[in-house]
Amino acid sequence: MDIISRKKELAKEFSPLITKSSFTLKVWMIFLATVVMVGLYAFYLQVKNGHGVTGMRDNVVWGIYIINFIFFVGLSYSGAFISGILHFFQTPWKNSVARIVEIMTVLSLIVGPIFILLCIGRLDRLHYLFLYPRIQSPITWDIIAIMTDLFGCFLYLYLTFIPDFAILRDNHDRHMPQWRKKLYTFLAIGYQDTPEQHKILHKITGIMSTMIIAMAIVAYSVLAWIFSLTVQPGWNSTIFAPYFIIAGLYSGVAVIIIAMFLIRKYFKLDHYIRKPHFVGAGIILLVISLLFGYFTFSEYFAKWFSHKINDINLLDTLFTTYFWEFIFANYIGVLVPMVIIFFRKFRSINSITFAAVIGVLGLWLNRFLIVVPTLETPYMPIQDTRPEFIHYTATWIEWSLSFAGIAAFILFFILIMKLVPIIPMSGIIDHEKEPKIKPKILTQIHK
Amino acid sequence: MKTGFLKYSVFILLISFIFNLESYAQETDVSNYRMNFKFNTIKQPDNSRLLEVNFIGMNKKDRKDKIPVYDAEIKFYNVLNDNEVLLGSSKTSKEGIAELVLPKDQNYLIDTEGNISLKAQFEGTDALDGEEEEITVKNIFLDLNLEVIDSVKTVSLKAYVIDSLGTKIPVEESDIMFYVEGMLSKMKINEGTISDGEFDFTFESNLPGDIDGNISVMAMIEDSDDFGNVIQKKSIAWGVLDKTFNVENNKLWSKAAPIWMYIVLSVLLIGVWANYIYTIINLYKISKSKIQKT
Repeated sequence: MDIISRKKELAKEFSPLITKSSFTLKVWMIFLATVVMVGLYAFYLQVKNGHGVTGMRDNVVWGIYIINFIFFVGLSYSGAFISGILHFFQTPWKNSVARIVEIMTVLSLIVGPIFILLCIGRLDRLHYLFLYPRIQSPITWDIIAIMTDLFGCFLYLYLTFIPDFAILRDNHDRHMPQWRKKLYTFLAIGYQDTPEQHKILHKITGIMSTMIIAMAIVAYSVLAWIFSLTVQPGWNSTIFAPYFIIAGLYSGVAVIIIAMFLIRKYFKLDHYIRKPHFVGAGIILLVISLLFGYFTFSEYFAKWFSHKINDINLLDTLFTTYFWEFIFANYIGVLVPMVIIFFRKFRSINSITFAAVIGVLGLWLNRFLIVVPTLETPYMPIQDTRPEFIHYTATWIEWSLSFAGIAAFILFFILIMKLVPIIPMSGIIDHEKEPKIKPKILTQIHK
Repeated sequence: MKTGFLKYSVFILLISFIFNLESYAQETDVSNYRMNFKFNTIKQPDNSRLLEVNFIGMNKKDRKDKIPVYDAEIKFYNVLNDNEVLLGSSKTSKEGIAELVLPKDQNYLIDTEGNISLKAQFEGTDALDGEEEEITVKNIFLDLNLEVIDSVKTVSLKAYVIDSLGTKIPVEESDIMFYVEGMLSKMKINEGTISDGEFDFTFESNLPGDIDGNISVMAMIEDSDDFGNVIQKKSIAWGVLDKTFNVENNKLWSKAAPIWMYIVLSVLLIGVWANYIYTIINLYKISKSKIQKT
């Protein structure tokens, strides 16, 4: 295979994806930017008027901001985990999804922690966290874990981008703007795909892929400990860390499937993202949904059986005030994806994507039910307080900032897709370079 | 049936003015409740006098079911023979408590034996009968002294009443309790009987006191037939700081974390960041190899 001409072919094939934007895409980007702007206005109002503009009060001090934080950070860690696994085991179909996963990992790790900043009442004291850290506090562990993980994910994402930056640098067409050429030259750091460079890059990418699997487990466990190391009813649980990791993986795989569906449909990549990829991701989603259902059942069953008064109060709240949310999060959100993917005849691209959407919505609600009802049923209720100080309802400020977070995530995703191809060209070449596995044993038997 | 309907209609109407709305007035039948009207007086450390009425509805069948009577106007009188002087009035709170504070220089109608008769009265509504209670107390004065006598911390109390000529007459006999005031409650340190207007004891407590070592000692006469409730209080820096208090280091709750936490965190961070540095060094090698090639 002539690698140089193949690189040219691929660069030619993927260049329109990077350099050209359809009218629909432009409209979408303007819409997403508008949602972000509305969110920024809401943020201005929140800073100006204080947290009184949110639904958070004396009891429920964490609202949907923290839920979005857990959700996005969960996406990130699951992305890191899945990406690491794909690279480490050299999964055959990794080329189709690897970059989607990597971009999701980094973006969600940028968007997620912003929601923590929205929770903080006195942002002017934010630097105190770094000036006076308390090593015993899980919050401090989480800050350290997120910053370390963010740097690691950036580095890892960059490593996987380098060969493609080099291809784009060497094979740009004459219509490519000058700034792009300079940018690719700078980011490719002189990578020429020589055997020595290839070996070094392959080695450090391999190490980093292992590293981020471990980091994802540690960092998401730390996040779970923020809850489980307190004695609050519903949070003080020994299985919270693995439960969070499974839940994160569940939402991560579901979001990857949704992203695969949208990218396949709107960027005409049917050739690269095919049904077997959806079925493969769907089966992973099925396995994780079984695990997630098992953990969820264990968690609530232990609370119900132990019959501690505060746990029972919490379960009463879940089965009365939050009945439908509970049913959707823990029954529909788990069983529907399970049923759709379990039966072979239901496995189509559309149905698997639908299962993923249900899974994502269910999991967001699951996070909501972990955070809000517990805060509404504390050990020490505040006496003679107003009902709106106990019960939580998110305000438009919180919703607009939440949607702004989602919009920013999608907008940046599209912008990164405008920087590098969503299907790694270097991965395709590597895959094509690999000798095809011959069924030696079978051949010998036939002989 | 009609009677029952009328009874309930009138009851709901009246009770909604009398009871706190949050106490489920509409669901409560006043005939199931026995009204408890308790009048009390407390002479306070600054010699002012607190008049207090507790007005509670007690369920006749369920002892635990108590409903405070809310917003009921209570009038307080000073009574001598047929004379009644209105001292003031107050409305019951959500807890069913009405209070009136009389200043220390309040002029009272006093009988020949030095007794003050006080009366609290609720005039009643259509739903609730009127209530009144009268108590008679002597206007006692407590002088509390905290001083070190011959290197001994001594608490001494003088109790007296003042007759119509202004002469201090020592109290012959009365039970007295002594407490040390705490943040949430009070702790008993001594009790005894005042004899010939005096009571002394040695303060032997080694309490640390507040942040400045101050201790508040309270002398209290409680539910006395002659004097009602009387409180006197004084503070003094008699706190004894326990010097043997051990400062714990390297605990989960101390300023510095347990050693193992520093070790684990350092190992993890060094391990991860060393790998990042290794990766960056290799990226540098890649960029350098370009220069060699060209």
